[in-house]
Amino acid sequence: MLSGESLVAVLVLLPVATAAASLAIKDERWRWLLIILPSGVLIAASLLLLAQVLENGPLTFTPSGPWDSLILIVELVLLAYFVYVGVARRHLLVLGLGATQLVLFALFKFAWLPSGFKVQPAFHIDLLAVIMCLVISVIGSLIVMYALNYMQSHERHLKLGATRQHVFFFYLVGFLGAMNGVVFANSLLWFLLFWGLTTLCCYHLIRHDLTDEAEQSGLRALWMNLVGGLALVTGMSLAYQASGSLSLLDLTGFGTVAPVMLLPLALFCFAGFTKAAQVPFQGWLLGAMVAPTPVSALLHSSTMVKAGVYLVLRLAPGYEGTYLSAGIAVFGAFVFMITSVLAISQNVSKRVLAYSTISSLGLIICCAGINTGLAIAAAIALIIYHAVVKGVLFLAVGIMEQSIHSRDIEDMEGLVTRLPALAGMAIIGMVVMLFVPFGVLFAKWAGLQAAAAAPTVWFSLVVTFLVVGSAAGIVFWVRWIGRLMSHTAAGAGAPEAAPPEAEPRGSLSYLVVAVLLAGGVVLSVLAAPLVSYLISPAGAAMGYNPALDTAGWHLKTPFGFFTPWVLFVVIGAALLLPTLLVRVRTEDIRPVYLCGEHRASTAGGPVFTSLGDQAVPLVTGGFYWSRAFGERSLNVWVNGAGIALLAALFVGVIV
Amino acid sequence: MSLTELLIGLAALVLAPFVGGFLRGVDRRVTARMQGRIGPPVRQPFYDFLKLWAKALSLPNKASLVWAWAYLLLTMVTVFMLFAGQDLLIIFFVLAFAAACLAFGAYSVRSPYAHIGAHRELLQILSYEPILLLTVVAIFLQTGTFMVSGVLEHGQPLLLTLPLAFVAVLVALGIKLRKSPFDISASEHAHQELVRGVYTEYSGRTLALIELAHWYQLVLILAFVALFWAQPLWAGVLLALGAYFLEFVVDNVTARLRWTWMLSISWGKGVGLVLLNIVLIQFVFSSARV
Repeated sequence: MLSGESLVAVLVLLPVATAAASLAIKDERWRWLLIILPSGVLIAASLLLLAQVLENGPLTFTPSGPWDSLILIVELVLLAYFVYVGVARRHLLVLGLGATQLVLFALFKFAWLPSGFKVQPAFHIDLLAVIMCLVISVIGSLIVMYALNYMQSHERHLKLGATRQHVFFFYLVGFLGAMNGVVFANSLLWFLLFWGLTTLCCYHLIRHDLTDEAEQSGLRALWMNLVGGLALVTGMSLAYQASGSLSLLDLTGFGTVAPVMLLPLALFCFAGFTKAAQVPFQGWLLGAMVAPTPVSALLHSSTMVKAGVYLVLRLAPGYEGTYLSAGIAVFGAFVFMITSVLAISQNVSKRVLAYSTISSLGLIICCAGINTGLAIAAAIALIIYHAVVKGVLFLAVGIMEQSIHSRDIEDMEGLVTRLPALAGMAIIGMVVMLFVPFGVLFAKWAGLQAAAAAPTVWFSLVVTFLVVGSAAGIVFWVRWIGRLMSHTAAGAGAPEAAPPEAEPRGSLSYLVVAVLLAGGVVLSVLAAPLVSYLISPAGAAMGYNPALDTAGWHLKTPFGFFTPWVLFVVIGAALLLPTLLVRVRTEDIRPVYLCGEHRASTAGGPVFTSLGDQAVPLVTGGFYWSRAFGERSLNVWVNGAGIALLAALFVGVIV
Repeated sequence: MSLTELLIGLAALVLAPFVGGFLRGVDRRVTARMQGRIGPPVRQPFYDFLKLWAKALSLPNKASLVWAWAYLLLTMVTVFMLFAGQDLLIIFFVLAFAAACLAFGAYSVRSPYAHIGAHRELLQILSYEPILLLTVVAIFLQTGTFMVSGVLEHGQPLLLTLPLAFVAVLVALGIKLRKSPFDISASEHAHQELVRGVYTEYSGRTLALIELAHWYQLVLILAFVALFWAQPLWAGVLLALGAYFLEFVVDNVTARLRWTWMLSISWGKGVGLVLLNIVLIQFVFSSARV
């Protein structure tokens, strides 16, 4: 069996090597081979690493060799590249932030840190890191495989002269290596590099199509993430000044020095907020949807934004019981609520998904801020379930977009008859996201309980935000499912059902969506063992008491209790039995009520006689209530409140 | 779950339709008296149900019937769980799923009136869901548990320390029972702009299913209200019946209003009241938590 060190090397370096190779290979068939084989290896390696860490406890080591120098060089090159982007694109914010970060980092490294300063250990891989690694490697690899199909038709659709897929896959696969580095690193110097690399990959993937909009969105993502990078470098300097250490273990109180260093921790968390696109930085994630769908899927489910919440969660033991913790809880809960409300007004599918991602990340951050064993368990569970389900939804929407050439929810009306398999998977995915007994709701249940029992005077505000946000979530998901389902029964003037060949059900991309969806459902059924074997031990490794009792496959907190599999059986029966047993004869089918006599249907659907004998075709549409919940009326308040909460966070920490 | 709880839950499943139907009959009778009519006999809802059930099937597609069944069955699950002393949060999560099934049923048909109703149904969920969940949290703060069985064992009547939350629950009750001024997703009597909202495409047996689900839901919500005075239980039952009677009065003296008004009442006043109550508990009624 491979040693832990070599597994880590595989997980970080194999994606980088694959990325480099894919840059050289432009032939389609070789690319498939080149992508699929390492993806399999990556998945296997992450599972082996899990086995190792479960058996032997956290893996802690510093690789031998001149790695520190290499990391330093790459970091400097990377920062210089950001400055170059700022100059080349004439973007003052990118230029300024990049240059400041470069100068600050150089000063810190060369003028402040003693030469030859090494952080021991460079890697510390506990169960939380392994869970993240599984999310990145398994879901990330699946998304990369999906991209093989997707990018072919994407380029066919764009009618590009020369293919740019090799560049695309370079950044896409490299991203996975950088993300694994982020979650493994214990040395902040290493962490900073991997963090910067994710920013770089994200920027290039968003601007991949090279349209004006893509360039703009890419630059916006870049400068917002550079704000976070700058906070990270500043926080590093302050942490070093306060403790003389640059190890995450020390910062979170597991090392030799355990001072309460709230300001650097607050800065790190702030960096996490920017990466997780929390208000007021939500703009970059909303803009990221111009990129090809696999990019959005990757950014939203397994990489990038998850690095942000990972950092906040990783540092949680360090700020437990402080003002910062309470501030993070209130901020996260506020973002959870307000982005759910904003999502109600959106009719573009990818924007709905983006707001729902930001909202879920807010919930994870809120749970980290609540900072009890139960809350941490809820946060980890939410990371896992959200990654799987959001992957399903983005990938499904990607296929829909390529099939119907629109990403507008209004145009998705009746997809259950046009693309039954895909619409079915999307609907199940949304139900998994929204309702009991599935995993996301289990995490929400635990989070709500943790919030109600939270050790902070602000808990009442937190629970209020949480309940309003979850109600808002019901509205936009159910409406979307409703639009997908709306159809006229066959034989009553329905448009012709799509021929089976409209849906390439056997293709790799369909397979990936199905596998992810099955994974989400299975993990939901197995919520109790998942908690007892992974989530609770991961919390325990961070110093939290396991708060969930899973004996007998129940999920039991000190205050509440349910049994996932029983609910699965009962609710499954309530939904499936009618589906299977109800028989409807064709002669029982009647046309809908239309406030006028039906006329013969046309190709566009039913037509009825309205006032003055006018023939009026039947049209239905969705309500989005944009005057009440729209960005135009709310954004000023949302961003203002977000900035105010962050300001309150920092003022409280400093004072 | 103990055997007793299981049996009580099953008994509730059997008895709830009779209690719910009877209460609906009382509702119609009392409402008629308030309007100066004599009104139908109290048994009338059962006659209506049987008559609807006996009608030949007529529906726009299969999906709408499936969702009507799902709505009924999931509502039954919540009733069972409440009477079997289960977790209040989970009960309301399942109830939200049930409510969504009603909307799904309306959405699954390509019908303009049903769609308007379904959208408004979502607004109703948006209005009452936060009040109910936040009230559950307030109950937790007093009893230290989310389990109905634990709440029942709590010695003190909750109403004494949660009066503001109770008022908010009355608002949620009105929305959940679709009484005026909150009957915006389906007007009680066919109105022109809505026809019958979410129910437009249901008739005969499928409408009977939905009516049955409403009876279950009525029992569920009133049982939740009764939790505010759980010991002795008869006081709780009286409290619930009193709340139900109050809904008749409000229903008869108000007219259907706009959804924006409903949302501002439920979020502003409703959620605000529960929040205020929680803060009062936190700082006035007990000093346990700092």
